[in-house]
Amino acid sequence: MKKTRSLGALGAALTLTLALAACGGGDSGSGSDETAGGSGGTGDNTLTVWAWDPAFNIYALQEAEKVYQADHPDFKLDIVETPWDDLQTKLTTLAQSGETDQLPDIFLMQNNAFQKNVINYPDIFADFNDSTVDYSEFPESVVAYSTVDDTNYGVPFDNGTAIGAYRTDVLEQAGYTVDDFTDITWDQFLTLGKDVLAKTGKPLLTGQAGSSDMIMMMLQSAGASLFDDEGKPTITDNKALMSAIDMYGQLVKAGVFVEVNSWDEYINSIVNSATAGVVQGVWISGSIQSAADQSGKWAVTNVPKLDGVDGATNYTANGGSSWAISADGNTELASDFLDATFAGSTDFYDTILPKSGALANWLPAGESDVYNEPQAFFGGQPIYADVLKYAAKVPSNNTGAYYYEGRDAVSVAVTNIMNGADPASALAEAQSTVEFAMG
Amino acid sequence: MTKTTLRRIPAYAFLTVAVIFSVFPLYFMAVSATNTSNDVIASKLLPGGHLVDNFKALVDAQPLGSAAYHSSLNAVVTTVLALVLCSLAGYAFEIYHSRAKDVVMGILLLAIMIPFAATMIPLFRLFAQVGLVNSTTAVVLPLIATPFLILLFRQASRTFPHEIIEAARLDGLGEVSIFTRIYLPTMKPTLAAAGVITFLFSWNNFLWPKVILVDNKYQTLPMLLSNMRAGYVTDYGSLMLAVLIVSVPTMVVFLLLQRSFAEGVTGAIK
Amino acid sequence: MSAPTAPTEDRAPDALGQGTKKSRGHQSRPPAPPLSAIARRRSLTGWAFIVPAAAIIVLVNFWPMIQALFLSLKTGRGTRLHWAEPLWLNYQRLFQDENFRLTLGTTFLYLIIQVPIMLGIAMVLANLLNAPWLRFKGFWRTAIFLPCAVGLVSYSLVFRQIFATDGLANDLLMQFGILDDPVNWLGQTGTARMVIILGLLWRWTGYNMIFFLAALQNIDRSTLEAARVDGAGGFKTFWYVTMPQLKPIILLCAILSTNGTLQMFDESFNLTAGGPGNTTMSVSHYLYNVSFRNSPNFGYAAAISYAILIIVAILAAIQMKVGDKRD
Repeated sequence: MKKTRSLGALGAALTLTLALAACGGGDSGSGSDETAGGSGGTGDNTLTVWAWDPAFNIYALQEAEKVYQADHPDFKLDIVETPWDDLQTKLTTLAQSGETDQLPDIFLMQNNAFQKNVINYPDIFADFNDSTVDYSEFPESVVAYSTVDDTNYGVPFDNGTAIGAYRTDVLEQAGYTVDDFTDITWDQFLTLGKDVLAKTGKPLLTGQAGSSDMIMMMLQSAGASLFDDEGKPTITDNKALMSAIDMYGQLVKAGVFVEVNSWDEYINSIVNSATAGVVQGVWISGSIQSAADQSGKWAVTNVPKLDGVDGATNYTANGGSSWAISADGNTELASDFLDATFAGSTDFYDTILPKSGALANWLPAGESDVYNEPQAFFGGQPIYADVLKYAAKVPSNNTGAYYYEGRDAVSVAVTNIMNGADPASALAEAQSTVEFAMG
Repeated sequence: MTKTTLRRIPAYAFLTVAVIFSVFPLYFMAVSATNTSNDVIASKLLPGGHLVDNFKALVDAQPLGSAAYHSSLNAVVTTVLALVLCSLAGYAFEIYHSRAKDVVMGILLLAIMIPFAATMIPLFRLFAQVGLVNSTTAVVLPLIATPFLILLFRQASRTFPHEIIEAARLDGLGEVSIFTRIYLPTMKPTLAAAGVITFLFSWNNFLWPKVILVDNKYQTLPMLLSNMRAGYVTDYGSLMLAVLIVSVPTMVVFLLLQRSFAEGVTGAIK
Repeated sequence: MSAPTAPTEDRAPDALGQGTKKSRGHQSRPPAPPLSAIARRRSLTGWAFIVPAAAIIVLVNFWPMIQALFLSLKTGRGTRLHWAEPLWLNYQRLFQDENFRLTLGTTFLYLIIQVPIMLGIAMVLANLLNAPWLRFKGFWRTAIFLPCAVGLVSYSLVFRQIFATDGLANDLLMQFGILDDPVNWLGQTGTARMVIILGLLWRWTGYNMIFFLAALQNIDRSTLEAARVDGAGGFKTFWYVTMPQLKPIILLCAILSTNGTLQMFDESFNLTAGGPGNTTMSVSHYLYNVSFRNSPNFGYAAAISYAILIIVAILAAIQMKVGDKRD
């Protein structure tokens, strides 16, 4: 009696999991293959690539593969979906244990993490010194992310240029147009925001509490960073940072910027019309456009600039990623492939833009018809060509090996300041936290 | 009669609250699997009609079948090997008891306290040096011998009558046969308990597979779950469906084996 | 392994099963005469049964831990590691590290609040489920255990959704008139920590309950009868007769829960991402950040992991001492 029950249970569990395995498709059956799957053995015309978003950078890779195959019929990409978090863990583990031959030929890297990885693991990256990639065709600020000691280690891909996107219908209700938000300062933005809030009940911005995204964007818009050229932390005595935090506090206090908890709530506030605007990397346009009922009600312009800070501009960036090549892989083919596609094909960028919203960093792409097509969702504005023009004007910022330590420490400081701590001492604490981490 | 009934009301009330607390998040998970992404974010509590859509989106976007296959393979292999190795060791620690073996057991128990994050990099290096990156062997090996399971079997063996072993020896049975033919059949509840615990742990294991399975072709279901949140836009309907699909096999295993599981734990705690 | 590891040889296992000495027949026998050939062969067989499991435990736990010990004496970023000067530099560093202090303090807070509440509730539930008059036992037990079948990543995702500002928890509390305005659960230190504790309670109470229930079912009924005959009330019987017999299993659950809480990672990582302002971050999460998010400092990470190991060992030792005294 008991025997049949246990056996039945095991049988049922097995059937269930196997049924799942059978109906899902995918490449099942590869489990018995126990050989290492890195780059080494994959043949001369195949490149292994790690990237993380099927709708975005993986889709872009697949199109790039087709473009390159036109001239190289034997060429093949072996794309392995690997989330960023996962990719960083694997990269660190492999580098730390010296198993670099397990790395793929090409991998995508968050711009903010690029210098950290090159500085700590120089051996695993191949440089682009001998390649034909023309870096002058990319915005300087974007190239800077993957440059260490004047050597290029990456080909920029995903555009992180910041946009100010506003709901024209809400602005109209308050008596404004998007032009009133173009080329303005944050002080003007605050005044406008209070008025919009009073007349419509909607804040102009939302954002994740405890995330320093907005502050880092303000900082970069003035060409400032958390580190100086020698890599020393400059969190105290940083005028741009002080001014950014001060403005952030005023925005939140006035209710013009509403803090939410999670990324999900942030996206929700956009698609559910809880906010009249967004200041974020251009990639947010994918999420904005997921609310089909808001079509025609959005417009895009540049972002406000800091008042009274040297070098302040209306242009900044958040996020973005670049391609890196593994020193142990097929570097020649990898760099030729990247040069011919991500750094050299208008056709390629024209193909991927409409379907994935993957906006180029490669400036020549902006001249094509596809980029200049009016976007119905944004009231007929050709936003992609506009954003590429912004991209060229974004000031560079220093990331360095300790970017995440700096950013996290500033996040903590901002949280504490919002809860009433004295800004100067909170920032001094952040500075000493970063100095400790670097020591 | 009514007096005792009255006294039992708080007990039933407490249990009801506990059950609601336990089941409610599961209900939310199940209902969300049938709703659209926006409905999930808006915490809709009624079932919707998007189960099929969510499933299609999930299967299109993610290698669900492959991940389910690898998860099943890893969990089944881990469970079977863990039962064999730990029952053998637990049995030997009790039946062939000696002072030296007690010392060894004590030392092995220390392993419970080692944080995994500390051993991860050296462990990875170890497997990499012998070419076992991406292998089932490497995923499974750290889970198949645990001091806790050995302890479970040792405690359970304490009630196993030694006379039977003596009798079997007199009948000329070898030591291995005594273990397989006489001991193991009486240990079914303990095997069930150990099996459930191992299966749950292996199925839900995340950090180690994420590290050792360098090539994401071999990814498991929990890895797939975390992948789904990696892009710029997350589809919460299919994410919740995936959460549900990942949870169902472990629930089924527990529901079907729960009586033996309870008996096994009871036997071991005696 | 120079750690003050108190679960010394046979005390740890013995702490488990009360009355083990009684049932372990061979221990009460007179000392064995010099081993005969048969006895020696049996002893060897015993070792042969133990070796596979023991060898694997040594290989996957102790060997890497020894490597980590050497690593903890080195310093440097990435792969450029060299011997620290002085050798214990990383351990010295621990005492100056504000983040380590913060995350360790938070982890202790979880431990001190969550483990007693969890074991207390688990004990009450186990007693209720053990009551002879209770109906639908299987239903209650199954429903309360079911959360244990859900993976850590999965339940963290679900809890985050429930405790969003516009999430279910606020919707329900406002509907029932308990709250007037939505609470920003995950955005404030106090409530965010509470959500993590609630999550841990949800996930693990049923698990511990099963062990208590099993122990209750093993209690000698005659001792309970005797207490009743002596006129002891329900609570007195429980406190003076049942509890002492449950002590070993309570001790085991306390040690395992302490250990689990100190190594807690997934909830901190997935549910609150450590925020707000790192105030919900567990020490294992910090360890992960030092290794993989920040500029990698593996020597220091190894030192942190040794600190966790030593703390777990000390706590286990204290718990066993306390457990012993109440005999």
